[in-house]
Amino acid sequence: MNMNRKLTWMLLFGITTLFTQCKDSGDEVKADDENELITSVTLTFTEVGTGTVTTFAYKDPDGDGGNAPTKFDTISLKANTSYTLTPAFLDESKTPVDDITAEIKEKAFEHLLVYTPNPTTLLTYTYGDKDTNGYPIGLTGTAIAGAAGTGTLKVQLRHQPNAKNGTITPGSDDVNLDFNLKVK
Amino acid sequence: MKSYFFLFLILINSSISHGQNPSCTCFIKGFVRDQHSGQPIAGATVLLTGTTNGVFTNDKGRYEIKDLCPGAYTLEARIVGYSVYKQSIDLKTGHEENFTLLEQEVHLKDVEITAQRTDAPSSQPLTMISGNDLEQTRGQTLGESLKGISGVTSMQTGSSISKPVIHGLHSNRILILNNGVRQEGQQWGSEHAPEIDPFVATRLSVIKGAAGVRYGSDAIGGVILVEPEELPFNKPLSGEVNLVGFTNGRQGVVSSTIQGGIKGLSGFGWRAQGTIKRGGNIRTPNYFLDNTGISEKNFSLGAGYRHKGFGIDLFYSRFDTKIGIFSGSHIGSVTDLLNVIKNGEPFVKSGFSYKIGRPDQNVTHDLLKAEAHYNFQDGNRLQWTIAQQVNNRNEYDLHVPRNDSIAALNHPELTFKLNTLTNDVIWDHKPIAGKISGQIGLSTLYQYNLMTGRPLIPNFNQFNIGVFWIERYIKNDWEFEAGVRYDYRTLSTHRIASRQKISNYFDFHNASGTVGATRNLTQNLSARLNAGSTWRAPNVSELFSDGVHHGAAAYEKGDSTLHPEKAFNSIASIKYASEKLTIEIGGYFNYIKDFIYLKPQPEPILTVRGAFPYFKYTQTDASFKGIDVSAAWQFVKNITVTSKLSYLKAYDTRNDDYLVMIPANRLDNQLKYEIPLLANFHNVFFSVGNLWVARQKLVPPNSDFMPPPAAYSLWNIQAGGTIHLSNKQQLEIGLSVQNLFNTVYRDYMNRFRYYADDIGRNASLRLKWTFGA
Repeated sequence: MNMNRKLTWMLLFGITTLFTQCKDSGDEVKADDENELITSVTLTFTEVGTGTVTTFAYKDPDGDGGNAPTKFDTISLKANTSYTLTPAFLDESKTPVDDITAEIKEKAFEHLLVYTPNPTTLLTYTYGDKDTNGYPIGLTGTAIAGAAGTGTLKVQLRHQPNAKNGTITPGSDDVNLDFNLKVK
Repeated sequence: MKSYFFLFLILINSSISHGQNPSCTCFIKGFVRDQHSGQPIAGATVLLTGTTNGVFTNDKGRYEIKDLCPGAYTLEARIVGYSVYKQSIDLKTGHEENFTLLEQEVHLKDVEITAQRTDAPSSQPLTMISGNDLEQTRGQTLGESLKGISGVTSMQTGSSISKPVIHGLHSNRILILNNGVRQEGQQWGSEHAPEIDPFVATRLSVIKGAAGVRYGSDAIGGVILVEPEELPFNKPLSGEVNLVGFTNGRQGVVSSTIQGGIKGLSGFGWRAQGTIKRGGNIRTPNYFLDNTGISEKNFSLGAGYRHKGFGIDLFYSRFDTKIGIFSGSHIGSVTDLLNVIKNGEPFVKSGFSYKIGRPDQNVTHDLLKAEAHYNFQDGNRLQWTIAQQVNNRNEYDLHVPRNDSIAALNHPELTFKLNTLTNDVIWDHKPIAGKISGQIGLSTLYQYNLMTGRPLIPNFNQFNIGVFWIERYIKNDWEFEAGVRYDYRTLSTHRIASRQKISNYFDFHNASGTVGATRNLTQNLSARLNAGSTWRAPNVSELFSDGVHHGAAAYEKGDSTLHPEKAFNSIASIKYASEKLTIEIGGYFNYIKDFIYLKPQPEPILTVRGAFPYFKYTQTDASFKGIDVSAAWQFVKNITVTSKLSYLKAYDTRNDDYLVMIPANRLDNQLKYEIPLLANFHNVFFSVGNLWVARQKLVPPNSDFMPPPAAYSLWNIQAGGTIHLSNKQQLEIGLSVQNLFNTVYRDYMNRFRYYADDIGRNASLRLKWTFGA
């Protein structure tokens, strides 16, 4: 009986050592994968008539946090001038670089770009495109700079899956940037 | 780890004719045994309260109290390492006046008493929910079930994710022991609820205050014990079926248990249990919350064997849940959040649906446990528990990847796989002089975490070893205890930053200690005092978080230079218990040095979604002072009023400011009318209750996007009873309505308070059919 008991205990302790196999979580580190990341936003203003192209960008190559954004331009426009405005979005953290603009175009029925100047007199925006449901998108449009002054231009990319109705309300922001705006 | 003892009493009440005091020849005798092992307990004190009669059990666990006059007594058994048990005994049942000279009568009665063997510090308040109180919480999550205890609240993410909060502390600052095993999930996350099916338990207990010595560092705020009943060794087949239906969410829960011994094979016991839960969208008083359904499938299997002093138990449980996260809580930027707050109700409108879409959480938790013990002839006892847990958490965001081919794979945006192996060896030394008992234990924990997806926390490996020693001493009306513990932990983390693998290594070690005393002042009045110190190492999210916490619209950044927090806890309580009145008043003071919290930074952090308020994990000193009061008074026959008050004031003493996310003070009142027998129904009761929760006024100024919600008052009603279908079958019926008046409210501890109102009226029907027992 006593022998049996000893054996039982030895057996049980034996099982413990089986469990003590170690696994190193360091061998299986995977790079971060954020599916909605946008690292750069570029606004291209093409002057109607002259065709002069100016671009203004926001760049944060390593995404949120980490290093601070490397670029956040001030938009500079001529007063009382018409421009064609085309935005471009990239995820440069991926290899190859992910062209988010193309994906927005493909899923135009669930995205809406909103341009809000403050004060409103600085700029007037008119949508130049429509999705399959007839709602605006904002990947191309006309921006008319108003009287000279300084303020901001809020650029929002609204992600509105199954809810897009032409207004800003549904969905959530994928981009929400306040560019400084100078009209002179 | 937790076992219980039951006193198996054989009452022999005899009266034989004798000289002057003819009737005072009654006696009580019996055995005291540990139910877990069935072994007799030597050196237990058995006494009749209010008298000087008290004896010790002998080596075989036997006791005998002689020369008793007929009358009503309270028999009390006190054993070091077990909680005190009291039982009323009537030594004149059946023949009040018939103690005549020549009459000789022998009453033989078996009284089975089960009481809990407690590893918990006896000088710390332990509150238990079991029996009828537990039945009334059936169908709810673990966090919700514990809310009836004063000093315990919950932190919620909607109504389906609920985390227990003890004295204002939660997550990594409290420990949950599931069937004796330290629950290891991703508990650092405020939206990560404990992965436990409450139907596994027949008893939920809360130890308030730091209990780090026995259960390991981290238990700064308290410990929750989730305990099933002892396996039914050598007992016939029995079982139960529970059906619960809730009107809100049109939720249905089925849970059944079947258990027994094995005929012809002595010493075996087994149990199988399973639960299925399915619910749809929750309704607030004015609107449905889109995508708030739940689907849960859990089961557990247990088997055990006892032979003489030896015993072994095996347990396996699987918890599998899919929880929809309210889609209106998804925000991209601070602007989005401010717009929802301004709107006063969610932009996303919905009807009722059982569908669970994105965003959602898919969590499985597997636990495999083996426990073996041996009781040596001389009173020593050795117990060994080994357990493996695998926690698999998948979180799906609202938005699928924009790229269709990737989206079609429907991968979760976040995956955590946490694998934990724990080992505990505990030696209970034989009682010294029947007065001193104690235990020495060694615990190890090894775990590794693998994660993929959006940046949140790194992979890590963690190893922890702890040794502890606790001694308890009982003398007369005093009970003392003292314990020490030492823990050592290594942590290695691995992550990829800027395409480089970065590994960090940490060592944490520290000592914990506890001293306490319990004094029984009179038969009804007792006082306890406990002081202790414990510590908690910073967890991986506090060290390495770096990103936007979308639920909170905050950018949270960890700090890898954080050092452990140290808690100094004192807790005192006084309890008066008589037949008609029970009052327990407890006060606590918990000082946490180097308390880790999210400190707001002056500059916001700029992201492509705009500027987010920036918070950094920082250390300060914090104090938690509070009072818990609970009282039950049967002021008229069959009518009882119960009141519970929880008061807490938390303060950042280093910065002279309040702390965020501290539960508001609350008062819970209940009036209950009981009828022992009404037509065919036994133990019938009707009750009406009110919960009043104050507004949390003690918050740092400008610390939040919206001020803490207003105070609220909720009414509820309950009724229930039991029908005896046959000798061995009974049916319990319970009805209740929560939030009776469909009151609109929001709670400060609910993270969805920005987005939507809390849950509206919810009626439920519970049926429990038991057989064989």
